[in-house]
Order: sequence, then C-alpha cells, then structure tokens
Amino acid sequence: MRRTVSSTIERTLLERIETLFTEHIDAVYNVAYRVLWNTDDAEDVAQTTFVKAFLHLDQLKDETKVRAWLLQVAYREAITVIRRRRDVPTDPVDLPAEVSTAKGPEDLAVMSVMAAHISEALMAMDQDERMAVVLRDIEELPMREVAAVLDVGLSAAKMRVHRGRQSLRQKIESLEVL
Amino acid sequence: MDCTEMAERLTDLMEGDLEADVEAIALEHLATCAACETVLSATQDVVSLARNHGRPDLSEDSRSRLWNKVLGDAGLSTQS
Repeated sequence: MRRTVSSTIERTLLERIETLFTEHIDAVYNVAYRVLWNTDDAEDVAQTTFVKAFLHLDQLKDETKVRAWLLQVAYREAITVIRRRRDVPTDPVDLPAEVSTAKGPEDLAVMSVMAAHISEALMAMDQDERMAVVLRDIEELPMREVAAVLDVGLSAAKMRVHRGRQSLRQKIESLEVL
Repeated sequence: MDCTEMAERLTDLMEGDLEADVEAIALEHLATCAACETVLSATQDVVSLARNHGRPDLSEDSRSRLWNKVLGDAGLSTQS
C-alpha cells in the first residue's frame, strides 16, 4: 500500500528523488532509448533506474557523480532487457547493433527533420560506438565517466568516441544533411 | 604530421588531450591541408548537431506517468 509522504525525512527523500528525476530523466531516457529503440522499454528502464536511485540515495551524495551513476544503471538495465529479449548471455561488447524494433516512418515523422536524421544515423551505428557518442557528445559526460558507464578503460572509451564520431559524420554526410 | 596521423589524433585534438608541441604540429598540418581541415570541421559540426538534436523527445504525459510510477514503486505518494 502506498504511503503518504508525511514525515520530514520522507519529504526530504521525496524532494531529493524528484530533483534527480527532473534533472536527469531526459539523459536516462536517452541512454535507454538509444540501446533499446523502443519507447515503452526505454520508459520501463528509466522507471527502474529512478527506483534504484531512490533505494540508493545514500550513495548519491556526490553531485558530480550522480549523472554517471544514473546513466550507468540505465545502460546496464537496458543491456539486461536486450539479453532477456534474445535470451543470449553475452557481454555487451558482443551484442550486435541491430538489437530491437526500429522506429517506423510514422514515428520519425513527428520528430524535427534534424532529430530524425540524427536518430537514423545513430540507429545505423555500431552499438558500442553509438553509446560512446551518446554519452560523450549528447549527454556531455567527461571521457572518464563515459569509460565508467561503459565499463571499459579510458583509452577504449576514447577510441569508441573517435570511431563513433567518424561513423556518425559519414552517415550524416550520406544523408546529405551537412 | 601526415593525414593518416592527423586522422588518428582528431579526437585527442578535439578533446584537448594533445601535448602542446603535438597540438602545434597538428594545427600546422590543418592550416595547410584542406582535406583534414574539412574532416575536422565536419566532425565538429556533427558533434554540435548531435548535441542539439540527439535527445529523443519524452512527452510531458510520459514524464508525468513515469514520475507517478517511480513514486508508486518507491511506496510514496505526494498526496496528504
């Protein structure tokens, strides 16, 4: 049964998780969506991520690390969803790029033209490289935090960003956007 | 520095991770190589586009529904 927030402690907790939600929901949803390419699944992952954040608020006192913590949870949860879909116990690095249902033309139509081009190009990328670009260039995490979220070394993260940017550039150029 | 090495160091340059002397050499190469300058400029443009347009939209309805689900899963309610 749902409790009504009444005590000072609970109100403080509620305000804290609401602040986290407001500030980071778009980034969390972005990471989940760019792995899963499905709005319902991405929302489920975002929900799970913030519930976990609520349960681990004591670990989230360092404001500089909150964003990376949330995105790491979202990324891992999304990978778990993929594993369940495929029922293949592999490491994230072994997962193929085409992992889920693609957005149909009707979904792309409601985005801005440029957002649709970016989404189409991201979808066509290798997953590891795509997520490196999402984390570094869209969510603007420092490279060390990109490495932490992806659970790879700094040089590997930088290589993924490097290759991802070139891949994204080539795909965007092929769409004749630039 | 040749074009191959420039391509390999592009991200380090964009990230500001090159040693000062290597960065100077890279900038010198870019000043005289239109092809590499074009690649750098296009890559910077793509990063900017991704930053400005790379987040999928999450509607206010979805945001509100998600927040209520989080509250429910956490066993909390904002109603007094």
